[in-house]
Amino acid sequence: MMDRRELLSTAVTLGAASMIGLESVFSKEQAELPAKIVDTNISLFQWPFRRLPLDESATLVKKFRTLGITEAWAGSFEGILHRDIAGVNQRLAKTCELYPELVPIGSVNPELPDWEDDLRRCVEQHKMPGIRLHPNYHGYTLADPKFDQLLKLATKAQVFVQIAAILEDTRTQHPMLQVPDVDLSPLPDLMRKNARAKVQILNYRPNQLFGKLAKTPGIFFDTSRVESTDGIAKLLKGGAGNRLMFGTHAPFLIPESALIHTFESDLDATELRSLLWKNAERIQNS
Amino acid sequence: MNRAATQFGLPKPETLKRYRIWDSYFTPSHSHPGSDGSSRLIADIERTLPTIEKGHFEKLCYFPHVGIGTTNDAELEKTLRSRPEIILKPLHRWPKLLLGMIQLNANNLNGSLDALDRWLRDGPMLGVYFPGGGPGAMTCTHKNFNPLVERIAKYKGVIVQHTWYKTGGKQGPGESTPAELAELAARFPNQKFICAHAGGEWERGIRAVQNVSNILIETSGFDATAGFIEMGLREVGAERIVFGSHLPSRSLGTELGKIVGVEMTERERRLVLGENFRKLLNQILQKKDS
Repeated sequence: MMDRRELLSTAVTLGAASMIGLESVFSKEQAELPAKIVDTNISLFQWPFRRLPLDESATLVKKFRTLGITEAWAGSFEGILHRDIAGVNQRLAKTCELYPELVPIGSVNPELPDWEDDLRRCVEQHKMPGIRLHPNYHGYTLADPKFDQLLKLATKAQVFVQIAAILEDTRTQHPMLQVPDVDLSPLPDLMRKNARAKVQILNYRPNQLFGKLAKTPGIFFDTSRVESTDGIAKLLKGGAGNRLMFGTHAPFLIPESALIHTFESDLDATELRSLLWKNAERIQNS
Repeated sequence: MNRAATQFGLPKPETLKRYRIWDSYFTPSHSHPGSDGSSRLIADIERTLPTIEKGHFEKLCYFPHVGIGTTNDAELEKTLRSRPEIILKPLHRWPKLLLGMIQLNANNLNGSLDALDRWLRDGPMLGVYFPGGGPGAMTCTHKNFNPLVERIAKYKGVIVQHTWYKTGGKQGPGESTPAELAELAARFPNQKFICAHAGGEWERGIRAVQNVSNILIETSGFDATAGFIEMGLREVGAERIVFGSHLPSRSLGTELGKIVGVEMTERERRLVLGENFRKLLNQILQKKDS
């Protein structure tokens, strides 16, 4: 999988990077490194509540190429509400095969009968490096024993787990389908019990729990909904350094948003490289 | 220093300069300027300066408290009334960068009318901001708004009304929705109103104001949700959309990203990023220059 990405780095990225000035990120010493941007948080197909300008996979990938995004970890919007999760993951895997940038991240819903088989297919059949969970839409909490069981199985299978802590601001949700943000407070204790587990929290806007989460090994974050002009810099200083990964939450959010926020954050080259791809490699390879 | 001089996702600096960005919604220390009336506000503006430079903003409009009960801090309110020169500190420090519009308190009608005389007619302020929360919030359909809007119109001031449509209902009784602003705006067809945040839940917000031509929608205060600007362009047109940054509590990424990341003509982008706001301010700026 990484070889394919590296090919892209030389073929696609250099052109796009040149267009947006990305090459200036790298000093001469770093020039031999492939210029990569790994977006760890995108979704394919249609958002259930409105059409999005980039919700066709071809359009989305085209946009990523213009922005220099070389790899994108793709979940499926279908995974939020559909119950035929095996079908959801099959469509996701097939679509990702069409675009070398896309890495499929399958959905698993532990409230469904035989969810273990969905996990097995993600790993064995589709060769997915991770899975994505939507506890708030699927109706369970992280204190549920099923989540602990899922975390154990995912860890054993050597795949990382993404938890979408929130998909949409609760203030703007459809009035007939309101879900709270995922309560992440049980996570640190669970991670201690599952020492080798790797969990990325998506769309998280740091709150009073952040310090505890950041101190917990194995927990990663993404940048998609981090706010305030110095929000990313504060997360790095607050202990998320080598566990903060670039994410756009596209196509629900405009992908330029996370890129500009990265630029805005005045990171040095080492921080930038970690954020844009090194940390993503770490969660896959460690 | 090994800083990354990249322009991820942003247009080139010369393009940003060409847009002549005038930010209609700059919110440093929006709810409280600091107990001395300015220190926290000044510090928040200083904290934002690097971002302002990166975005190549030309002007930013902020909303000072002027001692008419828009905060819950009685001591601060007293200080602002007794030492009004404190209120002008940011404008004196950054005269070329900042514009000001006072926060009004429609619950305090007489105090607000006096403040309009003092700060719009006789002072440097260019308009007003009606808050959505705190002690100054009042639903904008209330009759107290009539004399206030009449006086603001007399001074050619600009009106910014905080609006939200929140799933589950209003956060407080004084919050206003875009539909309520539409009701107020219909009473004053010759006065322009800025519908701040386009209602937050903008699909309903835009619908609520689309047929009220004297309302413009403002773009800040919610996530960079895709499709917002597209719907705005389709339903109200670029001439009725004004850019707001909500800095520093929001980010350049979230707010400028909404405008530069969307397909629209360069003409439309210039309108949204500055020209429309300048046009709204034109009359009062001319009046103050004369």
